[in-house]
Amino acid sequence: MKKILLFSLLAVSTLFAQVSKPIEMPYVEYPIESGDHDEIVQQYCLICHSFGYVLNQGKKSRPYWKGTVQKMVNEFKAPIGKEDQQIIVNYLVKHYGYESQPNPSGH
Amino acid sequence: MRHLNRRHFLGAGLLLGASALLGKETPSKPIAIPQEYTPPIIAFPEKKPMVAISDRPPLLKSAKGREIFTQAITPNDEFFVRWHLPDIPTHIDLNEFRLEVKGSVNTPLSLSVDDLKSKFEPTEVAAVLQCGGNSRKYYAVTGQATHGVQWDHGAMGCAIWKGVKLKDILNRAGVKESATWVGLNGLEKPAMDETPDFFREMEIAETLQDQIIVAYAMNGEDLPYLNGFPIRLVIPGHFSDSWVKMLSEIMVMDTYRKSFFMDVAYTVPDNDCECVVSGSDFEYKRKPIATMKVKSVIGYPSPDTLIKKGSRVKIAGVAFDQGKGIKEVMISLDGGKSWSAAKLGQDYGKFAFRPWSFEWEPKTKGDFTIMARAINRIGNIQPLPDEIGWNAGGYQYNAVDNVNVKIV
Ligand code: HEC
Repeated sequence: MKKILLFSLLAVSTLFAQVSKPIEMPYVEYPIESGDHDEIVQQYCLICHSFGYVLNQGKKSRPYWKGTVQKMVNEFKAPIGKEDQQIIVNYLVKHYGYESQPNPSGH
Repeated sequence: MRHLNRRHFLGAGLLLGASALLGKETPSKPIAIPQEYTPPIIAFPEKKPMVAISDRPPLLKSAKGREIFTQAITPNDEFFVRWHLPDIPTHIDLNEFRLEVKGSVNTPLSLSVDDLKSKFEPTEVAAVLQCGGNSRKYYAVTGQATHGVQWDHGAMGCAIWKGVKLKDILNRAGVKESATWVGLNGLEKPAMDETPDFFREMEIAETLQDQIIVAYAMNGEDLPYLNGFPIRLVIPGHFSDSWVKMLSEIMVMDTYRKSFFMDVAYTVPDNDCECVVSGSDFEYKRKPIATMKVKSVIGYPSPDTLIKKGSRVKIAGVAFDQGKGIKEVMISLDGGKSWSAAKLGQDYGKFAFRPWSFEWEPKTKGDFTIMARAINRIGNIQPLPDEIGWNAGGYQYNAVDNVNVKIV
């Protein structure tokens, strides 16, 4: 099941930077597939950026998602435990990716 | 935009497991057809409704698609937007905002935007701003899909930037003998303190080039908030990763400071083709992407346009390079067998989009592929799509553009 994409088309008036008021950034609700512990994905993967980052990669292989989650943890310091990382990788492969054969070059 | 990449000398560090797995996969593997997600079109402050790839941080491209590239100058309210970190101030008070110039300088400076406008000589340059990952989705047409946001041609634009030469600012501060690097940082900040900051570094010699400016105006107006208000760095001929937005700090340094966004992100194999010849991208010594490569993009028509036989079509687009200047744009209507020169339009300078057009009166019905290929003044020519060197991050895509249309 897909969560419905809701976004407000309400007046986002042309705000000029030089005005004294802060700009108002619209909020975009990116669809997140439910199931397979999407709550864990939502808990961690929305801390630093929108889900648009995931959606706009296109479908990716398991090694890609595994590498990306590791990069979030190792490079960007996402506070995700080992077990949750595994759950997230499985979720991403299932909903936003595909399985692929082991690397033939033996890595 | 970013993907897992690293300098070889980072060694078997944190990323080993992942990096080894992220090589160029052979196309013989069972690969599901990537299902494309279509992002919503939404108006952001000072912007027309744009395709919102992400809202936090904002990544936006024009909703017009290719047609934005029939003009030499991209309007501010349709100019693409690409930040890296989510914590961006939503208000800047010009009375308080300061650009700090510090580090290995004789006189540290703290400059307001007014100071920049009134105490330095203004200068202007028309220059293309292009994301290193622009057009990367087309790598997947002839090879393996690359990492990162699957941009079409939308992550670029050309504007007339007005501001102050970076070298004038550095000279005012007085760079010390010992200085070797200049660090540039803006006001965008990560959500978590531990996440590396998005700061950039340039060698001193590079920062002294005349064309590099700290810009406070874009196409005759204040910079749009989302394009880096109130000031940003403009490095004509360079990919945009170093065009720091909301520039707030210039740190003159005696030594290079390592960082993820300098050493790992936005890098390609350090060989002649800047590409993967065999094996995995991560087995290569790395180098940061820097100057842009000669490129042309067809603005009109868009793919799958139906055109009436005998009608007059004005094929149009833009071409640019690293700042040598475009010599010629060639058009092919027969899949690359024959080429004819397009007419070059107004010249806004060697760092700008050079608009081009080509009159076509299709006389037969059927499917046609329009191709455009640019050559610059030093003879750099765009590779054909099946000739382009591949890299895992999908950077620097500049193969000959093509658009399929139907004559009816
Ligand atoms: C601690 C902050 C943080 C968390 C938590 C985080 N990310 Fe990221 N992520 C980043 C940063 C920083 C970037 C690079 C942003 C840029 O350059 O635009 C990034 C980029 C990405 C990208 C773009 C491709 C790439 O490799 O750069 C994807 C996909 C991504 N993140 C997915 C995820 C997923 C999935 C999760 C949940 C496991 C997650 N992120 C959690 C900080 C984080």
